[in-house]
Amino acid sequence: MRNSLNPIILAAACIAAFGMAVPAAAQSGGIPRTAAGKPNLTGLWQAFGTADWDIEDHSAEAGPFYQLGAVGAIPPGQSIVEGGDIPYLPAALEQKKKDYANRWKDDPEVKCYMPGVPRATYQPFPFQIIQSQKDILFAYEFATTNRLINMGKPEEAAVDTWMGTSNGHWDGDTLVVDVIGFNGKPWLDRAGDYTSDSLHVVERYTMLDANTINYEATIEDSTMYSRPWKISLPLYRRREKNARLLEFKCVEFSEQLLYGDLVKKTPDSK
Amino acid sequence: MRKQIFLLSSALALLALASVPAAAQSTSSEEGKTDKNWSAPETPWGDPDLQGTWTSDDTWGVPFERPKQYGTRRFLTEDEIQQREKRVEQSQEFIDKGGPAHSPAVAELEAKEKGETPPPAQGRYGRGVDAAPVPGHWGEFARRASPLTSQVMDPEDGHIPPITPEAAKLLAEKQEMRRKQDSYVDWSLYDRCITRGIAGSIIPVIYGNGLEIVQAPGYVSIRYEMVHDVRIIPLGDKLEHAGSGYRSYMGDAIGHWEGNTLVVDTTNFLGKTAIGVNGDFGPPTSEALHTTERFTRTGTNTIDYKMTVDDPFTYTAPWSYEFPITHEAGYQLFEYACHEGNMAMRNMLSTARMEEAKKAAAAAKQ
Repeated sequence: MRNSLNPIILAAACIAAFGMAVPAAAQSGGIPRTAAGKPNLTGLWQAFGTADWDIEDHSAEAGPFYQLGAVGAIPPGQSIVEGGDIPYLPAALEQKKKDYANRWKDDPEVKCYMPGVPRATYQPFPFQIIQSQKDILFAYEFATTNRLINMGKPEEAAVDTWMGTSNGHWDGDTLVVDVIGFNGKPWLDRAGDYTSDSLHVVERYTMLDANTINYEATIEDSTMYSRPWKISLPLYRRREKNARLLEFKCVEFSEQLLYGDLVKKTPDSK
Repeated sequence: MRKQIFLLSSALALLALASVPAAAQSTSSEEGKTDKNWSAPETPWGDPDLQGTWTSDDTWGVPFERPKQYGTRRFLTEDEIQQREKRVEQSQEFIDKGGPAHSPAVAELEAKEKGETPPPAQGRYGRGVDAAPVPGHWGEFARRASPLTSQVMDPEDGHIPPITPEAAKLLAEKQEMRRKQDSYVDWSLYDRCITRGIAGSIIPVIYGNGLEIVQAPGYVSIRYEMVHDVRIIPLGDKLEHAGSGYRSYMGDAIGHWEGNTLVVDTTNFLGKTAIGVNGDFGPPTSEALHTTERFTRTGTNTIDYKMTVDDPFTYTAPWSYEFPITHEAGYQLFEYACHEGNMAMRNMLSTARMEEAKKAAAAAKQ
């Protein structure tokens, strides 16, 4: 495909759409750079594919509600796990299978709970990166999840959280984000791939060109896996003329599920 | 009151009206004047730099609307500030010496263990069993006496203009719902852990007043601790809002600079959130809401924040409130996993159903 990343066209499109200045010193090899010379990741990004359904190979499958027919079915996907399969320890694999069997009930995403890292990256929703001269904000559309990457002196996790504590630094042109302090509650996908609070994730964001990031994450948890393992997939810039982060506050969509049994029954309620 | 258990939304409304002590300091605009060497910092790409962690703690205790005795006076006198300073010192003592067991019930248990007489319940928290609304170390307090008589400053009398009859009807309906425990929809968007809206996310309350500003060329972003909300504000003079068919609780924001001031124009609201404490105190706003915010850095550790509210469906005239937000050493934001930890919802609803069942059983026996 013809390379449509002509920097001049990109700059003109940005200015026309948002009146915003495309960063100066940009477009060496098409990668926009900050004044400090680092790749500029600011923008609206999204993963494609179906990793959120299942990060390993998976065939198309019927969904939990036949009433939704094809719309409610599970699309196929190829593994984003390098090597294909997650290297589960036997006990963890047994737990994964139990979680898989109960996934519609137990997947925290169904309840609009925060997705953790790396799942937030490949959910079917975009996220905005705001890269300042200091720290970097990631704002995810799903449930208004957000996290600040500390680019200064690394900090310890003060408390275990859903999104962990993120410390970042540059390794050449790659943004490396080390995430610790998880609470063990998020899943990695909808297929029962749960996590523990020993989880340690190291992400690597490398721009391949102005509109593509190669995303890698090394996942380590000696209580669950026989060795550290890696996922990788590309992230694409959302290039619609008026693209912006929208709001998906899904708590309301989960309330009937979570609290419906406690709602006062009226004569005409079911 | 039917609800025995402490409810953040209603109690906060009461607490917001009580003048909580605040320590003395010059107004935000004076900080810049007294430091002659200070000039507004810029980002490497030449935008005014508003970045950092900020909190509205210092305005905690300042009434939202102005008590009538101040008339059109926006600032306290020196004497009045000194009175506030005394109460700030008292609250600082409370933090320093109160210890983790601010709860009278816990103090009682501890005294019992030691075979001592429990201490008398103190101050405003001495209202009954476990009257301390939150563990002491959660609570946020003003560090300085705010010189403000109220947060609302336009109109001149510091009072929100009258609301429309339609808004009054919606407010009455909302208040009726808040008295019920029939369903999760009877609760505020805050207690449901959905959002506090853009005003409710910055108006100070007893905790969670922090926000972080992160900028990039072409953007300002604001993330609020409670309820882990975030706004991405693209900058430019010719930007367009999203189409009117797309609406959200936090609205669609566009920003531009006027000198050192960030002006944020927000539309496309879903309505429903109130411009008041926790986004629930006051009438729900409408889809017609249009807000203008102004952020101006006035010192190393201070930003002046002003919000102008224009919602002709709800209010009979536009109005504004204004206060400083400050940077405090050691103050940081934490993850506010509200929905994930919302035990209160199930506890309240299940208690209400149980009470109803008990009443029904008792009635059946007669």
